[in-house]
Order: sequence, then C-alpha cells, then structure tokens
Amino acid sequence: MENTMRSAKVSFAGRIKSMLKVDFRRMFKSKLFYILIACALVMPILMTVMMAMMDGSVSVDPQTGAETVMEGPENTWQNIGTLPGEPLGGDEIFMMCNINMMFMAVAVFVCLFISEDFRSGYAKNLFTVRAGRGEYVVSKTLAGIFCGALMLIAYFVGSVLGGAIAGLSFDLHGLSGLNLALCMVAKILLMAVFVPIFTLISVAAKQRAWLGICGSLGGGMLLFMMVSMITPLGSTLMHVLLCAAGGAMFSFGLGAISRVVLRKTSLV
Amino acid sequence: MNAIEIKNLSKNFGPKQAVCGLNMTVPMGAIYGFIGENGSGKSTTEKMICGLIPTSGGSIKLYGKDHTDGTVRSSMGVLIEAPGCFPSLTVWDNMMLQAENLSIPNPREEIVRVLRLVHMEGTAGNTFKNCSLGMKQRVGIAMALLGDPTLLILDEPLNGLDADGMRIMREVFTSIVADGRRSILVSSHLLGELQKVATHYGIIRHGKMMVEMTAAELDASCRTYVALQSGEMNRTKMLLGCKYARVEEDEAGYIRVYDLATPEEIVTYLYGNGICVTEIRTDRIGLEEYYIDLMKGGK
Repeated sequence: MENTMRSAKVSFAGRIKSMLKVDFRRMFKSKLFYILIACALVMPILMTVMMAMMDGSVSVDPQTGAETVMEGPENTWQNIGTLPGEPLGGDEIFMMCNINMMFMAVAVFVCLFISEDFRSGYAKNLFTVRAGRGEYVVSKTLAGIFCGALMLIAYFVGSVLGGAIAGLSFDLHGLSGLNLALCMVAKILLMAVFVPIFTLISVAAKQRAWLGICGSLGGGMLLFMMVSMITPLGSTLMHVLLCAAGGAMFSFGLGAISRVVLRKTSLV
Repeated sequence: MNAIEIKNLSKNFGPKQAVCGLNMTVPMGAIYGFIGENGSGKSTTEKMICGLIPTSGGSIKLYGKDHTDGTVRSSMGVLIEAPGCFPSLTVWDNMMLQAENLSIPNPREEIVRVLRLVHMEGTAGNTFKNCSLGMKQRVGIAMALLGDPTLLILDEPLNGLDADGMRIMREVFTSIVADGRRSILVSSHLLGELQKVATHYGIIRHGKMMVEMTAAELDASCRTYVALQSGEMNRTKMLLGCKYARVEEDEAGYIRVYDLATPEEIVTYLYGNGICVTEIRTDRIGLEEYYIDLMKGGK
C-alpha cells in the first residue's frame, strides 16, 4: 500500500539531495563542527606565534650540560607544505604539526557524526523508511569531505594570520600563487582518500565511537606520511589530478565496501 | 490483504536461535499487541520486519510485497528502543530532519499536525536532551507518525508515559486505524494498557509464536471467576476445594473459584457449612492473567 504523503518514487539523486540537506543541516547545528573549525583556525596562529617567540632560545640539559637552541619557523608557508629544496615529508619543526594534521582531525568529526546516528536510533528510522545504504554512505562521505575542506581552509587562514602576527616571511621561494592554490586544491581532493576510510571504519564500529576513532586514526596513520609527499607547496596540475584520481578510487571502492558492511550487518 | 504476513521466520545469532519458525499475521486495520517475555524475540522480529537486521530464513511480506521493497518501506513508521532524535537538537529540528528524510511536502504543517496529535505542540522548541522520558517517548511516536505512515511498528511505546500520556496514546492509536487502512504492531509489557486498544494479539515465547488471536477470541478465552473472602479462609478454601475443580488464592488474599459457579450457590454452600462470607464478587481474568497462565502452562 502506497502512502500519498511520503513519496516512495524519489530518484537516487533526489534521495542523495535530501540526505545531504539533512546532514548539512545537522553539521551546521553541531557544536563539534564549530569547535573543530575554530581549532583549525586558532591552532596555527598559536603554534606559529609561540614557536616564533621561542626562536633562538637556549635550553640546557641539567645533567649533561648540553645546550639546545630552539629553531622557530622562518616562512609562513612551512605550515602548509614542503618548501622547494627541503626534504619531502616537511620541515623538522612542522613535520607533524602542520596543515596535514587536519586529515587526522577530520576522523574525529566523521566518527562522532556517524556514531551519533546509530546511538540515537536515527539510523534505525532512516534505514527502515529508506532502503538506500548507498545514499547514506555517499552523504556521510561528502559531508566529511566538506568538513575536512573547511578545516583545511581554516588552517590555511590561521597560518597566514599566524605568519603575519609573528612577522614571518611570505616568500614562496620561486613558486607562484597558483602552486599554492593547487597545493590547497590537492589537499582538499586528498580528503576524498581519507574520509572514505573513516566512513568505512565508522559504519563498521556503529555506535562505538571510541572504536571508530581509534580505528580511523590507526587507518589514517598508514597513509598520513603520503600527504606531504603528494601535496608539496609546489604542487602542479599533476598533483591535483593524482589526488583527484586517488580520491575517486577510494571514495568509490571504500564506499562500496561500506555499503556492503551496512547491508550485511545488524544496523542496531 | 494483510499488513504483515510472516512465514517460518528465523534468526540465529551464532549458535543461539533468537527466532525460530515464527508465523505471524497482522491484518489491515489492526492494532496488533505483540507480547512476550524479555528475550523472547519480539524486538528481533520487529527489527527484521524493519529490515534492520538480516533474516536467517523465512519470509516477511508487508502489504503483499517483500519487506525489502522500497514502496512499502517508505510507508512505515517506527519506534524501536530509541526515538531516533539527536540530543543536542530541538524537538522541532529533529522533526524537520526526519521530514526531510521522508521527502514530505509542507513539512512544517505536518510537524505541527503530529505534535498536536501527541499533545506536544508547546514543546517543539525544547532541546531533546532536556525532555522528560515521557516527552521523549511522545516525540518518538510523533516522529513515527510523520508523513501519515500506513504501518506503524512500535516497540514499548508506552514506557515512561504518565496516565494522561497513555490515554492520549490510546486515542492516537485508535484514530490511526479507524479508517481500516492503517495497521499498528505494538509490543508492550503494560498488558492492561495494551488490552484497552489491541484488536489482535500474538504471544511469542522462545522465538516461536505460541498463540495468535483476536480481542474477541481473547475475551472468550478469559474465564470468569468468583472471588470471595470469609472469616475462615483456610476452611473456606478446603470446603470449596472439595466441591469445585479449580480453587486458588490470589495475591490480594481472595479465594477464586473458576468453575461456572454463581455467587449465590457459593454463599449458600458455605453458609450451610457454617462459614460467613464477608465479601464476594464475580470477575474476569484479563490479558495479563491470561498471559501469565499461558506462560505457566508452557513451562
């Protein structure tokens, strides 16, 4: 028996659209989203300013008497990617604590976002009235990529502000603004590699957020070192295409696996 | 056509068989009371009907179509365990999300309608986590009612409701099925409340359907009895036990005589034996007692 008010004959695109609307509405009403964006914005400012202030300071080991001179950042763009002439993997100061951290931070968002669906019983309502696991995976992946992209942009803005406050150089070492833009685009596209991993682990973990987060951070770590190599500051169109291809491959491949996980396992 | 038709349904969780060979029929327009002990397989069956867990065997048909069919699935409303609301969002926002998911045209009007139906129109702006248990339950039912579903599956919807809340829910359930087009499958441990609205019953035990009956059949099965008290309860019980086949003392301290005896007969008989009856009445066992009797019989 068909229901007149609830339309069963909504197209796949229509269903995706309505799910995306729901997810984005939820995302923009979520405190976690704003906290993460704020962290992404504030963290590089604090980090850059603090490290610039500590530049040149000497610390002495009381036991050995060895002196260590703290080295601060020299260039604003060290926060974003590897400068030309530096070893791939980044500057020693910013090797781990740079924009690439956002690839791990977004795991927290994706895992909590998905686990809340299962914990609240929302997923039960959703999957009962709609058979489409595929739409669910697509929608969550796109929402995660969007959040990740915003975090990257916030971190970029924070880095620029931090660099300006600390009085660091904005010299691109022979690179153009286009390279910088392509580097950011490549990073955003690379989110499409990481987010499907986090989505897959989260749908498998369901309401167990801790398991999703631990699994996602572990899974993300496997690919983490690749980020600085594949998206250097001097990124070209080739880097962008490579990231886009990787993103598409991971999104489709892992998305399909996530769908199978949802189909084959209990949703409660 | 039946709203739900289940044949030989089974579900295994590893070596444990949660549901085995279950048959169940929920006619259209019915309020089907689904009853069973904790762990009897009620929720598992409901989850399988909703497609939330895969079945291990058997078939589930909803309005004649397989339960995985999108057209019938989109006509369902569910409340299983949790209402499906995000705690940090308001009741209104949660309802809007669900309305969006269901692609309901004019969602605002529909939300106002269902909130009014469950008498929650004044609390739409409350954050869900700040709602009381009863309010959360009502919101859950309102969510299930969004978009006027033709089949409602409600797991313990009466939990946490106060007396007024239960009355409202009874009215809601009755009005939903009034046109004979919609059906409700409701499981509850509050059998007294369930008996006030259910038109059909299914009693499940150890994953198997023990009995399915209509309210009229239950009424016919629920025997009448005479309950009495006297000054000498032990002697009264002994004397009545000699004359009537089934005499029991209930928890309230009344002696129950289940045979087709009239109060007059009993009073005369006891008076003849020198016993003065202090209180006597005829009564009928309810769903709760019928269920307990059935469970005892099955053990």
